[in-house]
Amino acid sequence: MASALLEQTYRSAGGRIIAALAARFRDLDLAEEALAEACSRAAKVWPGSGPPDAPSAWLYRTAERAALDMVRRRQVRQTLLPEPPEPEPNAEDLMSSDDANIPEERLRLIFICCHPAVAPDSRAALTLRLVCGLEIAEIARAFLTNDIALQQRLVRAKRKIREAGVSFEVPGPEHWAERLSAVLSTLEVAYSKAHEDAAGSGRHAGFAAEMLGLTALLASMMPDEAEVQALAAIIRFAEARRPARLGADGSMIPLSEQDPARWSTELITDARRYCGRALSIGLPAPRILNMMIHALWCGRRSLDDPPPWKAVLSAYDMLLALQDNPIVTINRAVALAEVEGPDAALAAIAALEPERFATFLPYQALMGDLLARAGDTTAARAAFDRALELGPGEAEWRYLAARRAALSDA
Amino acid sequence: MQYMLLIYENEEVFGGPEKDGPAMADIRVRHFNFLSNLGDKRVAGGGLKGTAYATTVRTVDGAQTIHDGPFPEAKEQLGGYYVVEAADLDEAIAIAKQVPLGRDGAIEIRPLIAMPPGVSVQR
Repeated sequence: MASALLEQTYRSAGGRIIAALAARFRDLDLAEEALAEACSRAAKVWPGSGPPDAPSAWLYRTAERAALDMVRRRQVRQTLLPEPPEPEPNAEDLMSSDDANIPEERLRLIFICCHPAVAPDSRAALTLRLVCGLEIAEIARAFLTNDIALQQRLVRAKRKIREAGVSFEVPGPEHWAERLSAVLSTLEVAYSKAHEDAAGSGRHAGFAAEMLGLTALLASMMPDEAEVQALAAIIRFAEARRPARLGADGSMIPLSEQDPARWSTELITDARRYCGRALSIGLPAPRILNMMIHALWCGRRSLDDPPPWKAVLSAYDMLLALQDNPIVTINRAVALAEVEGPDAALAAIAALEPERFATFLPYQALMGDLLARAGDTTAARAAFDRALELGPGEAEWRYLAARRAALSDA
Repeated sequence: MQYMLLIYENEEVFGGPEKDGPAMADIRVRHFNFLSNLGDKRVAGGGLKGTAYATTVRTVDGAQTIHDGPFPEAKEQLGGYYVVEAADLDEAIAIAKQVPLGRDGAIEIRPLIAMPPGVSVQR
């Protein structure tokens, strides 16, 4: 059957085709509809005539023709629309094979989807939909919403891009500082959705694979951008540890207790390449320091190696100097507790006002841990209770509940 | 495309709702300089007198009433606007970043609804 091939072709080349069509016709909806049309033609034609030798190129050509038809139909309806640009003639199109026939415009599409004028959550959803070709239902699950709400969000985002005149050009390098940070934070949001979800159900292994592909693409297109390389490294380090993140009972295993033997050496090797590249460009940006912390952890060979708490702590010291925010303070306190003991860590987070963090899960979980270690069982129990009430994911809930239960025994 | 840049600032910086403080002279000069740099990208624009001089005509269910003051009341008030011609949103954002402000403020960028051919905003 051709349907498996079609599915595979769509997965591997869909983003590239949408990007090429969007770049040419300057219209995201048109690009999406044209590809859908091409897929439905493929579903009809391929089973009878046999699949083409170059399925991606077939899909692209067919989508391109469908897009031209749609533009012509629109022009008949409203004669004001300008002529679309002529297709660039290419006699070898159907001779040479596959992806090479589709112009590489994904970088442009990423910059369009991640424009800072689009709402942050919509940017991530739009990128996953158009660039990665994920199904609406998959994205909706990761964003904890339903298909209809997500579909509406995508429609609004595309409308904003069209009506506000978001540029279809890749911005010049002089604007990258501003625009890249929107791109990178979008990809981080997208990945964190995949990461959270996978801890629970493991359904999104493919979702995370898309993020690996996307960051590889970005890193190859912007080899001199340290933070782009760093993000590619971070995502690989984090993915490498996925197999060790859950215990047999489905409960979360903290990083320092994960068995390095279960980490993917292949992904870690890959991550180190990006890591080296990022460091050779240099710049002590927060993303680079975060990458270093991942690299320190992934340098552990087995549970017999002592955890790199001291080095991790100094990395967090540097990070805190660049980026004084509660998340960094909390993560640094975790390392500080290991190096100098729970009292030092409690003193360090005393700077955070407790009322402001009453509903902040990482804060309550850390308080529970530190108070337990400092021997204040009653206060620790109360902190764990608050953390559990804040609705952690299933894996973290199991972990925190076990920590609390262990306290009651003591 | 044409975009309107709406300038929101707290009038207190300019001496309150009557905008008669010493900061007014300074900001005028800065807008004048901004305008000369804008060149023919400028389609229209102007500064507004303070909200002390605002009048609102309100229509509810077909009945019209006249009120003293701006709509809506807010911490930052609409103080002026430009209409500019820009290739795309990025160019409009770049222009908006150059709009002079007395202190803090916000520039809202709104694309204009396209006019039928032959009709254009006065230049």
